[in-house]
Amino acid sequence: MAVNPSARSQNLSFPADGEWEYLITAPSGGGLSCSQTSASVAIYGTPAVDEALVFIGDYNGKVYALNASARSQNLDFPQMRDNEWFYPKTSEVIGAIVGSPVISEDAIYVTSSNGKVYCLDKHFGDKKWESDVLAKKLWSTPYIEGDKVYISTFDGHLYALSAEDGSITWSFATESKIGFVSSPAVYEGTIFAGSFDGNLYAVEIGESEPLWNFTGGNCFWAAPVVSNSTVYAGCLNGNIYAIDATNGTELWSFDVGSPIVVSPLLVDDSLVVAAESGNVYVINPKTGIGERIRNLGNDNKPTINALVQASPCAQEGIVYIRGQDNCLYALDIEQGRVIWKFPLTTQ
Amino acid sequence: MAELWNLIILNPMLNGLIALSSVLGGSFGLAIIALTVIVRLILLPLTLKQLKSTKALQGMQPKIQELQKKYGKNQQKLQQEMMKLYKEVGVNPLGCIWPMLVQFPVWIALYQSIMRALATTPESLLNLFQHLYSWEVVAQAIPLDSHFLWLNLGSPDSTLILAIIVGGSMWVQQKMVTAPSADPRQKSMNSMMLLMMPFMFGLFTLIFPSGLSLFWAVSNVIGIGIQYWITGWGYLRRGTSAQVVTKLGGKGGITKGP
Repeated sequence: MAVNPSARSQNLSFPADGEWEYLITAPSGGGLSCSQTSASVAIYGTPAVDEALVFIGDYNGKVYALNASARSQNLDFPQMRDNEWFYPKTSEVIGAIVGSPVISEDAIYVTSSNGKVYCLDKHFGDKKWESDVLAKKLWSTPYIEGDKVYISTFDGHLYALSAEDGSITWSFATESKIGFVSSPAVYEGTIFAGSFDGNLYAVEIGESEPLWNFTGGNCFWAAPVVSNSTVYAGCLNGNIYAIDATNGTELWSFDVGSPIVVSPLLVDDSLVVAAESGNVYVINPKTGIGERIRNLGNDNKPTINALVQASPCAQEGIVYIRGQDNCLYALDIEQGRVIWKFPLTTQ
Repeated sequence: MAELWNLIILNPMLNGLIALSSVLGGSFGLAIIALTVIVRLILLPLTLKQLKSTKALQGMQPKIQELQKKYGKNQQKLQQEMMKLYKEVGVNPLGCIWPMLVQFPVWIALYQSIMRALATTPESLLNLFQHLYSWEVVAQAIPLDSHFLWLNLGSPDSTLILAIIVGGSMWVQQKMVTAPSADPRQKSMNSMMLLMMPFMFGLFTLIFPSGLSLFWAVSNVIGIGIQYWITGWGYLRRGTSAQVVTKLGGKGGITKGP
């Protein structure tokens, strides 16, 4: 769905200007069922947006490029003249896509549960390259920096691939063979990723030994965010940690009271952290002092009346979060309150 | 209540299953087989008690049938006489049921453990972390490889092979203990039960993830082994109901071996 914040704040009927929805379906049936029908498909990754184009990878194993103008007019999909496409172009699918697609220049990068990374042409959806099988399955979101694609895998590897042809230019493996659960983040030549044993690893690209590892009380499920030589990493033990990127020293921690399963978000001079319970906090990234954003109707309830398992995003000081109640919430972090909510119901 | 269940039963079993997988070279299929064997060994005393009670009850069948003939029209008297008979022989008619009931929570926990451990979707993997111990051997095994032989342990087996193994092994196991009856009504009911349960579980195999079906198949094979140890092939290789009734009469038991 495409939602216009201005229309939602005025509570206009959906779809208002620039708003649209498109249902992605896939053939279903099989098993004991004789007939084949189509059903809506789960989308785990965050859509990547490039001007009028929206790129989505679905759990059925297809990548879609949707054009906002064509979708607003509810035209048949795909509208080739609007650069709409899907990949693979046949009825075949690649493995389930869990990570988010990433745009870099004229290419889209997606990971698949078949263990490969795919690089697709942004305009036409043609495959530029596919990597070797890097793991039994890849659920992480690739990180693109310069001419390299960085990947973390469940079997304990970090890879740097050439963005040109997908060849492996560097790899790192944990000694204990413990896998990486989070997607990677890259900052000044160092890659950061959380592992299944509750450690956050920092590995200098090109090296074979970790620079440091930081032990949290549980897994670092979501990708960390790095800024000003500080790593901000949410842990399933309910703490957000600020760690010195150069040596792994803990600078501060803040307990949000429930597991953190989405990456924190830096908005201007604030760090926005969403706890799975629905509470959202605005924290000073330097001091680690923060405040909870108030609920729309009841101060005693969590910020959002639903679990939060989807990454927040921000625009012009407003943070948008999708709750597991299938509603989109808009939070004004300056005012420290929820300003509107909108049910994301499909046709 | 749910937290207590997780703490005492589910979490130890789940972590044990994942640790086993790690020890067995990352094969979740082998871990399911090994855990099924371990669980059946732990429950062996209960299983033996159940089998012995069943065997004793079957041995009493001729006497029970005599009583039914004699007091068939007076249910109250029949019940009294049957209770008297149970007391004389020293058998509790519920003796073969309660060991089975005790095993149910273990089977449920095993089912939950298999389903949770496979964690085929992101949310199920996330949920799994709420149940894991901070053991390195557990962390090393996550996420588990759901492929074993021709099976994807997280999906039903569409080849029918596992359904035939589960249904067939269940039929054999039941056939070994189902005493043929001279009573036509009982006979027809026995025949129906003998087919219905294997058919149902065969059908479940086509619906439930094959990890669970693998557990059923291994559990059935172990059950057949235990049963053979106690009773031999039992009624699987025995003749007509009349012969069986004659053989079972008096001593009140099934002899081992054909």
